[in-house]
Amino acid sequence: MIGALFYLQFHTVWNRIAMRFKRLKQPKYLAGGVVGGLYFYFYFVRYLFGGGRARAGLAATQGIPHLDPALLESIGALILFVVLVVAWLVPHQRAALAFTEAEVAFLFPAPVSRRGLIQFKLLRSQAAILLTSLFLVLVSSRFGGRVWIHAAGWWLILSTLNLHLLGSSFGRTMLLERGISSWQRRLIILVLLAGVVGVVAVWVSRSLPHLDLSRLRTPEQIQAFAESLLVSGPIPYLLYPWRLVVRPWLAPNATAFLIALGPALLILALHYLWVIRSNVAFEEASVDASRKLAERVAAVRSGNWRAGKQQLKSRRPPFVLAPVGPPAIALLWKNLLSAGQAFRLRVLLVLVVLGLSMTLSLGRTMGNSDVSMILGMIALMFIAWSLFLGPQLMRQDFRQDLGLAEVLKMYPLRGWQVAFGELLAPAVVLTALQWFLLLLSLVLLWHADLRVLDRPARLAVAAGAALLLPVLNFITLQIPNAAVLLFPAWFQTGKDGPQGIEATGQRIIAMLAQLLVFVLGLLPAAIGFVVVYVVCRLVVGFSLALLLGSVTAAVVLAVEAALGVLLLGQLFERLDLSAERTG
Amino acid sequence: MIVVEGLAKLYGEFVAVSDLSFAVQPGQVLGLVGPNGAGKTTTLRCLSGIIPPTRGSIHICGYDLAKDPIAAKRQLALFTDEPRLFDYLTVEQHLAFTARIYQVAGYENVARGLLEELELTDKRQALPGELSRGMKQKLVIACGLLHAPKVIYFDEPLTGLDPLGIRRMKDSILKRARDGAAVMISSHLLHLVQEICSHILILKNGRNVSFGSIEDITRQFSVAAGQANLEEVFFRATGADEPGPAPGS
Repeated sequence: MIGALFYLQFHTVWNRIAMRFKRLKQPKYLAGGVVGGLYFYFYFVRYLFGGGRARAGLAATQGIPHLDPALLESIGALILFVVLVVAWLVPHQRAALAFTEAEVAFLFPAPVSRRGLIQFKLLRSQAAILLTSLFLVLVSSRFGGRVWIHAAGWWLILSTLNLHLLGSSFGRTMLLERGISSWQRRLIILVLLAGVVGVVAVWVSRSLPHLDLSRLRTPEQIQAFAESLLVSGPIPYLLYPWRLVVRPWLAPNATAFLIALGPALLILALHYLWVIRSNVAFEEASVDASRKLAERVAAVRSGNWRAGKQQLKSRRPPFVLAPVGPPAIALLWKNLLSAGQAFRLRVLLVLVVLGLSMTLSLGRTMGNSDVSMILGMIALMFIAWSLFLGPQLMRQDFRQDLGLAEVLKMYPLRGWQVAFGELLAPAVVLTALQWFLLLLSLVLLWHADLRVLDRPARLAVAAGAALLLPVLNFITLQIPNAAVLLFPAWFQTGKDGPQGIEATGQRIIAMLAQLLVFVLGLLPAAIGFVVVYVVCRLVVGFSLALLLGSVTAAVVLAVEAALGVLLLGQLFERLDLSAERTG
Repeated sequence: MIVVEGLAKLYGEFVAVSDLSFAVQPGQVLGLVGPNGAGKTTTLRCLSGIIPPTRGSIHICGYDLAKDPIAAKRQLALFTDEPRLFDYLTVEQHLAFTARIYQVAGYENVARGLLEELELTDKRQALPGELSRGMKQKLVIACGLLHAPKVIYFDEPLTGLDPLGIRRMKDSILKRARDGAAVMISSHLLHLVQEICSHILILKNGRNVSFGSIEDITRQFSVAAGQANLEEVFFRATGADEPGPAPGS
């Protein structure tokens, strides 16, 4: 039976790789593959084959301190221990092996034993473990050490961890079946944990009485304390099995690795026996878990990150939608609803009142202090970040609705109306947030001693920024939306969507294109601003000239945004997802 | 009501639909049949303005779908086999949203009637994720009928419906036709087509194999080979072999 399961796994992986290579015939995947490949080469791979000098050089530039191997071993073991304690402590679900829906349909009704299913699951997880090990080697080898030792070390650590997580899920289920509830289990674990912490605390108070936590100020002092705590006393013994697991990874040479390998393999084998001998009914929970996993993957790949995490609940609409009026407002209403309860006018007003009262009281108490100044600058920094990161985070537009493009195309609306409506929700939310931050920063910096900008000038800058921000948002949002409409396959959902190196490459291309288009889009507005400012400066004061320049820039950007919406509308009208599917 | 002339749709060099011409008058129900890949769904997608045809013209209630898409789309509704809804809008919110898109003033009374007719009144506050497949289909129908379309397309309308739902769907289709709508149904269920369609269009490889009233088409194929029902007509028209015995029988 295991032969058939191995066949399934082997051909699944093989066909997927073959399909991805075939897909490279299409320019969009080839371009992504080339750029992604170059990125991985320059960022990781050259350190693998660049010899020790490249890696040592990087380690030196990264300023990695030299740590005692015993301390590293204990730190690694401690991390594993914490992960495993959480695995026993937190989850409340019954054991569920995440199979794909096809695997559930084919394997569950087939004459495959429960043990066979577990072995298949373990076999399948090996593909992910090997890939993760490779990725981690690419990262960890940049900081020194032998590549093959790191590769084998990562594989041992991840395989043991995977088996333990599986075994713990079986263990939790067995406890549930024996009448021990999740809370009782947690209580027992916490009591045991408290006992362990107590033992360590007693030892610290008896053996390390001279340690004073308030004196731990420099990294060296912290390192010395950590060494005392983790390398001597009871902790190394408590962590002993996990130290054995991480020891091969830390081996400095082949001999040390081979010596460390035996105990690590023994622990792995014991875990395997534990998992394979567990006779726990996981099928029912697995069917449910597989369905949820499929839904989550589809949701996340379509850009709906929240749907991937939580179940949707009905929400109160952001405002009452009249049946007659500009249709684009219906799309704003719909997308604000999808954005969630936080993006409502009432919430924003409460936020403004709270924020203003806090900053005003801060201004009264602190006045012209560094704290106000720093907070004001941070608020301004957030505005700048929101311009670039906002369009990536707020995706209640074509990126969310691409799967329903055919429904939208049936509506009696022009392409530009749909495009405008789709952009409205993220633009409105981002603008509201930025105006709020602008207001806070203005209040916080009101008393600041800024010689370059007097108070009227600060007001002019704030007013100018308030005018520019909405149109800037409209422009920055158009770029990823145009990318979705131009290359819908790049944003395809499901397993056929781009993954791995080519997906990384595609994201890099999209990011660079976004930056380029943004800079090009800003140029005419910047020229308009400079011309108007210089001319006005001859006849009016600095603040007024600044404001007039900003108004000009906002008008230029608004024209650009309007043209962009028209273009986006045309792209939407031409969008033919069936052509993508046949292509 | 629906006038199609020389419709063609190409994907690169692949011809999905070729030189299709037909008309559906108010009150008529046209069945669109053909083997898999015949171009039925592509035809419906072109007729509803989802995808642009490569060649040809489509007029909906006198409006050219290419030149005046807004006026044409206001007159039509398409019901696909897979209900496609917004995950985060409740039943009631779907109707409010659709009303604004189609500018249906005073939609509340119409919506209330449709919810009652489709037995969705109790589910007004439910999200699509909380509805069964049949209920989702009903919600799609409620949204589609809210603006009283004069042209209605159904793509495999009976998929996923229980016997009662099938009966009601058939009645609903016939009622819309009696009220003056031009209806097109794409389906593999030949007994459904025979039962409720007045006309039939048989497609094969994107081409019109036969078009006319059910009686004319049946007569046309009966003359050559004795009395025929629609199933036999289908096999003769598309040149497909009669199915052999079922596997395992």
